[in-house]
Amino acid sequence: MENPIGNNSCIEAGILDNALVMIAVLEKNGSVVTWNHAAEMITGYSRNEVVGSATIWKQLYPDKDYRNDVTAKIGAILSTKNFFENLETTIRTRSGEARIILWNTKKITDGSLPRTITIGLDVTEQRKADLFRESVIDNANILIAVLEKGNVRIWNHAAESITGYSPDEVIGKRDVWKWLYPDAGYRRTVTSRITDIITKNRYFENLETIIVTKSGAKKIISWNTRRIGTDTTCQDIAIGLDITERKHAEEALISYMTEMAMRLKGPVEIIRDNLSDVAKLSREGKLDPDEVALVLDGQVRNASQVAKNMKEFQQAIAKKNTEIPESYRQFLEGE
Amino acid sequence: MNNVTVIVNPDDLAKKQIFLILASPGNIRERNIEIIKELSELGFLSVIITTNFPYSILNKLYAQSGVDISHVSFIDAVTRNSIGTAENIPGVVRYINNPANLTDMGIAVTELLKEHSGEKVCILYDSVSTMLIYLSSPNISKFIHFVTNKLRLLDISGIFLAVEKGLDPMLMSQLTTFVDKVVDTG
Repeated sequence: MENPIGNNSCIEAGILDNALVMIAVLEKNGSVVTWNHAAEMITGYSRNEVVGSATIWKQLYPDKDYRNDVTAKIGAILSTKNFFENLETTIRTRSGEARIILWNTKKITDGSLPRTITIGLDVTEQRKADLFRESVIDNANILIAVLEKGNVRIWNHAAESITGYSPDEVIGKRDVWKWLYPDAGYRRTVTSRITDIITKNRYFENLETIIVTKSGAKKIISWNTRRIGTDTTCQDIAIGLDITERKHAEEALISYMTEMAMRLKGPVEIIRDNLSDVAKLSREGKLDPDEVALVLDGQVRNASQVAKNMKEFQQAIAKKNTEIPESYRQFLEGE
Repeated sequence: MNNVTVIVNPDDLAKKQIFLILASPGNIRERNIEIIKELSELGFLSVIITTNFPYSILNKLYAQSGVDISHVSFIDAVTRNSIGTAENIPGVVRYINNPANLTDMGIAVTELLKEHSGEKVCILYDSVSTMLIYLSSPNISKFIHFVTNKLRLLDISGIFLAVEKGLDPMLMSQLTTFVDKVVDTG
């Protein structure tokens, strides 16, 4: 194997060739001096094809416009410093596959010859995983916020949609909690409850709080948290489910059911007791037949109204629940 | 008067307080008669808004119980609803077409109280529970709020009868805020 860096060291050559990252040593004009095994594996181009010329860069960046962009970027970086860090480009391998490479360079001298060591880390899989994670987070219909030392790092689309605050307003700061809980007293209560729970469990589940959105609307959120990472580099993931509509629906259902209980059960009891009363008064001779008839007429009216109320109740149930089979719907709607 | 059986404290009545009286379904008519009897003995002119028993029956039952019916006036929301027509008897009874007609009921209350302004008047509303056959609880709540406000403005006592355990917690809490005292007579 040729001397990769300049010093003829078998150990260094071994390290170079067995590294899991692309390592290329370049001359000032971009011509390749050294091309390690990982570079061969990632690009599909062998050392023999690459070393001694700069044509590999045209092969790795076959699209002229993109190649010019990359060249311009590198030129801009090197105009201010003699190395670059974490420059991300997409190369085209011999088989035509696109790979995302994170480049770092360092200038060295090989005797009197200037050389550049170029290290390329293939981050394709990591980027795919990042994109998948971001896509999942951003398309989730629940609020997801990732916090680091209290500052927001991730604020997904649902978080923006639920709260009205955009990632630009929120990320990198911790102010959002003051905005979501503008009442200092309530904020203290929530903070205290969270602190209590986290002290015992390190996380909390289904903690319900009321937030105030950017537009001033109140929403009920059910929170779940998880802590990931070690103590020094830990992140808290806060997941918030907007249960406002569900809560309102539950309240409406309770309200509706109690209203109907009041307007069905109570009235039936009233009719029963009125009939019982009139029977008793009649037996005692306190009411004449016309008066008994008058009371009975009244109870008929009451009973008719209760039946009408019941029908309204059935119709409302049928209207509210779209999944009721048609035959049952018709029965409930009195058709 | 025998204070042992007093449902509404006379001192509270003298302070023109407003009450919600709860009774079991089987006792509610008897409570009505007992209250009117007490009011009559205390020298009150009773104005009964009835949505349960017709005026003619209540009037007869009061008389049979020894109430001086010249001190009783009615707003009857039952009779016309049952038999169709009935003529008002000035100073005695005003009929409204049905218990759901809160506008007419409100007008009748206002006019009757005006007629008796300066007198020692107490209104008995019998009953909140029967009204629930014809009206939703929010509408009843609004109406009772209207009536209690009127009573307070005119410095008049009022009693609302209801079947115990027949009102949901929301309506009950609203009515409790409108009145001065809730008395559960069982």
